[in-house]
Amino acid sequence: MSSTETEYRDLKSAATSHRGDRVFNRTVTLAAFTALAVLAGIAVFLGLQTIPAFESQGLSFLTTTAWDINTDPPTAGIWGMLYGSILLAVVGLVIAVPASLLLSIFMVFLAPKRVATALTNLIDLMAAIPSVILGLWAFYILNPSAEEWQRLLNQYLGWIPIFQNTSGNFLGTPFIAGFVLAIMMIPIITSVSREVLARTPPDLINASEALGSSMWTMLRYVALPYGRGGIVGGVMLGLGRALGETIAVFFVLKIVFEVNWYQIIESGGGSVATLIVSRFGEVSGEFELSLLLAAGFFLFVMTLIVNVIANLIVARTGRLQK
Amino acid sequence: MTITFDAESLPALQEQRIQHPWRKKTPVFTWSVVLATLIPLVIVGALFIWGDIPGALLMTVVYLPLQLIASGFAAFATRGKRGILDSVIIVNAIGATIFSLVILISVIGSLIVRGFSALSAHFIYQNNVYVSPSTPLEYGGIGHAILGTLLIVGISALIAVPIGIATAIYITEVRGRAVPYVRFFVQAMSGVPSVVAGLFVLTIIVATGAFEQGAFAGGLAYAILMLPTVARTAEEVLKLVPDDLRTGALALGSTRARTVFRVVLPAARTGIITAIILGVARVIGETAPLLLASGYADSTIVNPFGGPIAAVPTYIFNNVALPYPDAVARAWASALVLIVLVGILFVIARVVGRGRLSSK
Repeated sequence: MSSTETEYRDLKSAATSHRGDRVFNRTVTLAAFTALAVLAGIAVFLGLQTIPAFESQGLSFLTTTAWDINTDPPTAGIWGMLYGSILLAVVGLVIAVPASLLLSIFMVFLAPKRVATALTNLIDLMAAIPSVILGLWAFYILNPSAEEWQRLLNQYLGWIPIFQNTSGNFLGTPFIAGFVLAIMMIPIITSVSREVLARTPPDLINASEALGSSMWTMLRYVALPYGRGGIVGGVMLGLGRALGETIAVFFVLKIVFEVNWYQIIESGGGSVATLIVSRFGEVSGEFELSLLLAAGFFLFVMTLIVNVIANLIVARTGRLQK
Repeated sequence: MTITFDAESLPALQEQRIQHPWRKKTPVFTWSVVLATLIPLVIVGALFIWGDIPGALLMTVVYLPLQLIASGFAAFATRGKRGILDSVIIVNAIGATIFSLVILISVIGSLIVRGFSALSAHFIYQNNVYVSPSTPLEYGGIGHAILGTLLIVGISALIAVPIGIATAIYITEVRGRAVPYVRFFVQAMSGVPSVVAGLFVLTIIVATGAFEQGAFAGGLAYAILMLPTVARTAEEVLKLVPDDLRTGALALGSTRARTVFRVVLPAARTGIITAIILGVARVIGETAPLLLASGYADSTIVNPFGGPIAAVPTYIFNNVALPYPDAVARAWASALVLIVLVGILFVIARVVGRGRLSSK
C-alpha cells in the first residue's frame, strides 16, 4: 500500500502543472479547512459573548450557581450546571461502561457469528435513535419505573449518602438523567470496544488457551490489556456525547440553580446544555442571552477537550495495532 | 519404526481440535446449562406470581444472585474451580445484552404502540394552523413539520455534502501536507455538541443580522453537524478506490481534476451516496439546534428565509409535556414518523453499502 502511495505522490508534481488542476487543488484545500474555520468561528463568536458575562459577573460566573437575572445587580453563574453535567456523565458512565464492555465481550467472544451480526445492527439502530425520541420515551415510559427503582434504592440503601432523598420526590433526578445518558453512551462505547476486542490477535488468544487459561484469564491478561487504549478512547467519546446532550436530559431532569453534590436520587440537578435550551425559551433579554451564549462557550470548550483526548487515544491505539 | 499416515482419520482429528475451550459441549455441560437456566427462572417466576415482591427488587436481589450461584455450580460441575469466574462473566455478559435489548425493544415498541393511535393519512400532510393542543385528533397534522424537516435537511445537505466530499478528496486525492491536521479538525468538529452548533448560528444572526431564524439558519446549524460525518465516511470510501485507477487515468493524459471527477468519484459512487445518507440520518432527528436557529411555527412555510419554521423534532419537543392527551398522542405519532424516516435512511445506506462491497 505504502509503495503505491509514494508512486502516486510522485505523479502529483507532474500533473499539477495544469492550470485547471491548480484551481482544483486550491478549491479542495480551501474546503478542507472549513472544519478548522467552523471550529475557530465557534470559538471566536461564542468566546466574544463571554465578555459581557465576565464584565458583569467577574470570575464568579464560573464559581456561583445562582441565576437571578432580574435583581439589580443580577447575579448569575454556571458552576452548578458545569458540576451537574459532570455528575450526570459520571452516573451515565457507571451504568454504561460495564454494560458496554460486557456487551462487546458477548458479541466478540461468546455469541455465534449470526447473533453477533444481528446485535451489531441493533446497536447501530440504538445509536440512531434521535435524542428527542429518547426523551419522549424516558418521560412517559422510563420515569414511572425509574421512580420505583429509586424508591427501593432509598428504602434499602438510604444509609449510603448518595442514595439519600429528603424531598420524597423521585422524579427529575440526576439518576434518571444519567440513565438516559447511559442509553446514549452504550452504543458508542460498545461499537468502539467491540472493534478493538475483535482485533485482538488470534495468536495471542490461542496461545493463552494453549497455556490453559480460562475465558476469564484470557480476558484479564490478553484481550482487555490489548484493547485498553481503544476502550478508554471509546469511553471518552461517549463522555463527550453525554456532556453535550441536551434534549433527552431536558425532559427528565429538573434544573435547579443550586449544586446537587452527590444525592443522585434527589429531585433536581444541573446540565449546561439543558440550561441553554430551558432558559432560551423564556429568555428575558439580551443580557441573559449573552449569559447563555457564554455558557455555550464553556460547554464547547469542555466537550472539545474531551473529544480531542478521546480521538488522540483512539488514533494512537489504532496505529499501535497496525 | 515407520510412521504411517492414515488419511481417513484426518477429518476426525481436525474435528477434535478445539479452538475455543469455553465452547466445548458435552452432555454434562448441556444439562448443567439447562438446569442452571431453568431453576432460577422457575423460582423467580413462582415468587413473581405468588410472592409479593416488586419486580425490580425481584430481578436485582433475587434473580441475579440466584442465576450467578446456579451458573457457578454448573460451571463447577463441568469445568472445576476455574469455571466459576467464567460463568460470572458469561451470565453478566448475557445480562448486559438482554438489558440493552430490553431498552431498545421498549423504545421502539412504545413508539409503535402509542404512535399508531394518532397516525392517519391527514396527519402526514395537514398542517397545524387551526389546531390547539386540545383539538381532537381528527384535525391537524405534521405536514408542515415534515416539509420543514425536508427543507432544512436539504439546505444543510447542499452546504455540507460538497464541502465534506471536497475535504475527503483533499485527504485521499490531493494528499497535501496538511492531511493529518485536516483529519484532526474534522474529528474535533464531529464532537461539537448539537446545541453549540445552534448557538453558533444564533450568534451569527445576532452579530450580523444577515438573515433571521428560519429554515436557512437551521440548515446552517445542521450542516455543521453533517459535515464531519460526510467527510469521514467519504474519506473511507475514497480510500477503497484502487490507486491503479488513478495512475491509469493519469497515464492516459488526464488531468488530476478530471481523474477525480471522471474516474475516482464515479468508482466510489455508491459509497458517496452512503456518506450522504449517513450524514442526513445523523442530523434528521436533532432538536436543540433547530430550537435555537429555526424556531417554530404552525403554518406551512417553504421560503428558507421566511421566518421561523417547524420541523418534526421541534414539533415533538413542543408537544411532549403538554397536559392534553391528544397533544401527547401527536408527539408519539410524529416520533414514529421520525424513527421510520431514520430507519429507512439507514436501511438504504446498508443496502447501497452492501452493493458496493459485494461488487468487489
